Amino acid sequence: MTADLLTLTQWLSPAFPVGGYAYSHGLEQAIAAGRVTDAGGLCDWLSVVLDHGTGRVDAVLLCLTLNGADLADTARALAPSRERAQEAEDQGRAFVEAVNALRGTAIAPQPLPTAVGQAARLLDLPASEVAALYLHAFTSNLVSAAVRFVPLGQAAGQQALADLHPLILNLADWAATAGLDDLASGAYGSDLAAMEHETLDVRLFRT
Amino acid sequence: MLDGVEAVQAMQRTRGRAAVRLSDNAGRVRLVDLHQSGSAKVFLPRSHAAAPEIVFLNTAGGLTGGDRMRFDADLGAGVRATATTQTAERIYASTGDVARLDLRLSVGAGGRLDWLPQETILFDRARLARRTEVALAGDAACLWVETLVLGRAAMGEALADVQARDHRVVTRDGRPVLIEPAGISPALLADAGQPAGLDGARALATVALVAPGAEDAVGPLRAALAAADGVRGAVTGWDGKAIMRLMAPDAYPLRKALAGLLPVLRPGPLPRVWQI
Repeated sequence: MTADLLTLTQWLSPAFPVGGYAYSHGLEQAIAAGRVTDAGGLCDWLSVVLDHGTGRVDAVLLCLTLNGADLADTARALAPSRERAQEAEDQGRAFVEAVNALRGTAIAPQPLPTAVGQAARLLDLPASEVAALYLHAFTSNLVSAAVRFVPLGQAAGQQALADLHPLILNLADWAATAGLDDLASGAYGSDLAAMEHETLDVRLFRT
Repeated sequence: MLDGVEAVQAMQRTRGRAAVRLSDNAGRVRLVDLHQSGSAKVFLPRSHAAAPEIVFLNTAGGLTGGDRMRFDADLGAGVRATATTQTAERIYASTGDVARLDLRLSVGAGGRLDWLPQETILFDRARLARRTEVALAGDAACLWVETLVLGRAAMGEALADVQARDHRVVTRDGRPVLIEPAGISPALLADAGQPAGLDGARALATVALVAPGAEDAVGPLRAALAAADGVRGAVTGWDGKAIMRLMAPDAYPLRKALAGLLPVLRPGPLPRVWQI
């Protein structure tokens, strides 16, 4: 364990004041519509979101930013819906505020994946490791949303998260050397759910 | 050095570039420049519509691995025009190489481009890398409809081995404002029933209006979508964008729904080549 890895773990923990618990990334809509009803369905849903949707996109944005690119506007342009844009922007702003306060830095507010990428320049960690922990935090937050809203048992939720570890590691390794041209998004159902969430009558989550 | 077989294959590769430039001349749109080479053609049919129509055509009748095509349209300040394609674009099986399409569309301040290509049909073993970029200047606007069709359901085709990257980018004064890095991969197709993924759909459309105040279209679009049959869809809007996504079991219901929905976003009839 290094001090830098411990710092990143702190930044990406649910206790860091980013407010991730308020966002379901369209999962609330999918659960309300009966598209996700159990732990198996949750695992399937999240594996598509990771492999063909936000997971892959965010991991590439994070790694390229970590390596020096300025992709805040690109990240904003990649948001597929109003609430998704808000989810990334609000969490990114809160993340940057907290890191700036801790480190005395002046990182500009920006969507979460590029915010984390830029902050991680302060740390001596390989991109694949930062991306893996970022994807893990993202997935863990959605599992927690599903545990509360499906509802699922805690053990079933944690099993789903553990089952997604191999995918998270693969994606993070891939993203460490990928470029924007390599993106190929196909999480159509997830994107549609995020859009449908805007008109959901009763909402516990902001997205 | 090429051996005989490779040389023949190289000659058979489709190449083409078509480009058109329109400018506004005291309220009348003028054709300033038109270039076409290889299998790419562009023409402007005579029309009584207020805005001219640009039609791009690939005379090779489809694309396969190794093919390269480029289409350009440049609308000067204040020009409003519609651009489309003469037929659906078919991306046929490749032996390995990628078919590359590049489209660069630009719109000057005060102008508007309605980019309404007919659908792109992907066949099994297709390899596609397409990049479409719309560059807006100042307060320019664009309406964009892009449809992907995964095989032909009526022919009983189910796709398994397709690698397609279809990147759609809108910039305003050089800054990206909308990027949709659409893609179809064997992994996505293997789980074609996944509700977060294709959810069984074989036809996928994105409709995007990028314009100052585009969010105002969200309400009317949602109302029109609620009345549309045979498709699943949703509408969102923020920051000068209104976006609608549609999914359907096949191309026909999607096209039919689009024909009913697009009048919400543009005055006048659909391009004549869009025959329903």
